[in-house]
Amino acid sequence: MRSRPIVLLIVVAALSIQNPLLAHHSSAAFDAGKKVILKGTVKEWVYSNPHCMLLLDVKGQDGQIVQWLAETQPPASIFPVGYRRDSFKAGDQVTITVEPFKDGRPYGRIIGAVLADGKVLGPATSAPSTSGAAPQP
Amino acid sequence: MLISPVKVGLLLAVLVRVDAYAQNSSPSGWPIPDWNKPPITDANRKPAPRRSLAGTWGPAEGAGAGTQASGVQLKPNNGKPENQLPYTTYGSELYRSHKALEGADAVLTTQDNDPRNRCEPLGVPRYNHYNIRLTQIFQDGYKIVILYQYDNRWRLIWTDGRELPKLVDGGVEIGGEIREQRFFGYSVGKWVDDYTLEVQTVGTMPEDRVWLDSTGRPISDQVRVTETFRRLDYDTLVWSETLEDPKIYSKPWETMRLPLRLHDPRTDVMEYYCSPVEQEIYDKRFGKAAAGKEAR
Repeated sequence: MRSRPIVLLIVVAALSIQNPLLAHHSSAAFDAGKKVILKGTVKEWVYSNPHCMLLLDVKGQDGQIVQWLAETQPPASIFPVGYRRDSFKAGDQVTITVEPFKDGRPYGRIIGAVLADGKVLGPATSAPSTSGAAPQP
Repeated sequence: MLISPVKVGLLLAVLVRVDAYAQNSSPSGWPIPDWNKPPITDANRKPAPRRSLAGTWGPAEGAGAGTQASGVQLKPNNGKPENQLPYTTYGSELYRSHKALEGADAVLTTQDNDPRNRCEPLGVPRYNHYNIRLTQIFQDGYKIVILYQYDNRWRLIWTDGRELPKLVDGGVEIGGEIREQRFFGYSVGKWVDDYTLEVQTVGTMPEDRVWLDSTGRPISDQVRVTETFRRLDYDTLVWSETLEDPKIYSKPWETMRLPLRLHDPRTDVMEYYCSPVEQEIYDKRFGKAAAGKEAR
């Protein structure tokens, strides 16, 4: 447990050094710099070009399920940092950190994740971790 | 049963032949790119090989350093005065007609007209400014071949002394014949010294087919692209580019000075295709949402 603060620091540092993304949509949609942590159940993981996508059911404070769609970079970019075609399986309980849309709709881009097995993944430019620490906003 | 000397000779010949084509081994199987290499210092610097660019190269400053999403590396399209380009009147009009998803004048997704989003070939020089990641270079005594990771594209640069074709209206002239425009143009390279290759490219596609970068900056078929590849040491190559395009820009300007780091030649370079089918799925599910429309 002593290593947890150090691990958290590493994850926060990794999240703060993202390089510019190359989007197939306007970056204007995203609330740059804002981070939202989502805990939910995986519905679908699309491991494909031009961007991978994760469909996630997230229970809100009112008990209602909100379905989020979050994208990340293509397989060639995220494979080296630990994302795999089976990183998210339907039914998995996972936590992701996203940069959300400005307009409040449930869309975002993934900048970190804790997988069902506790593996921590950062943005596409950071190294994977085997720690169970959660991405921090 | 005894084997005759002739059979022994044949067997040996076969064995020698097999050995000559033996493959190098990759102990770790399918190595992934290593983006956390130690910096090159006086302690680990090795001399550059003479007249060789061969290798698997990646941006020295990290996996995302060659992305250039905000425009060409040395002139990001961010509205700052120092990054304004010397447009001609026509160049400026053309820029305004381009609706890009990135840069100071970005539009929403469904309003864009970037040929990239139809998976069109990007052409030279835009391939140099689009997601440069692992870039493989092969060469023989006649030519250099660049394998771009994005869209698995390859490009030839002739180094056998042939002349650069003459740029004419609508194409190039070679031996008195007018030849077609090409997405990669016609490239020839000359060694300036043992560690610097200068490459000239002409005969590229017209401005209604290609862009310079992802922010919609234009480029025309009258462009002359000059690239230099300078091998600083064994592990470092600097890729620079200058454009001379009198139709679009009133003077030449430098777009890129990208340091590259040598990677393990056994590194598995993953596919990164622009597939129209995958693009359509993505646009329906996410791209439309980014434009303010409901998707899923």
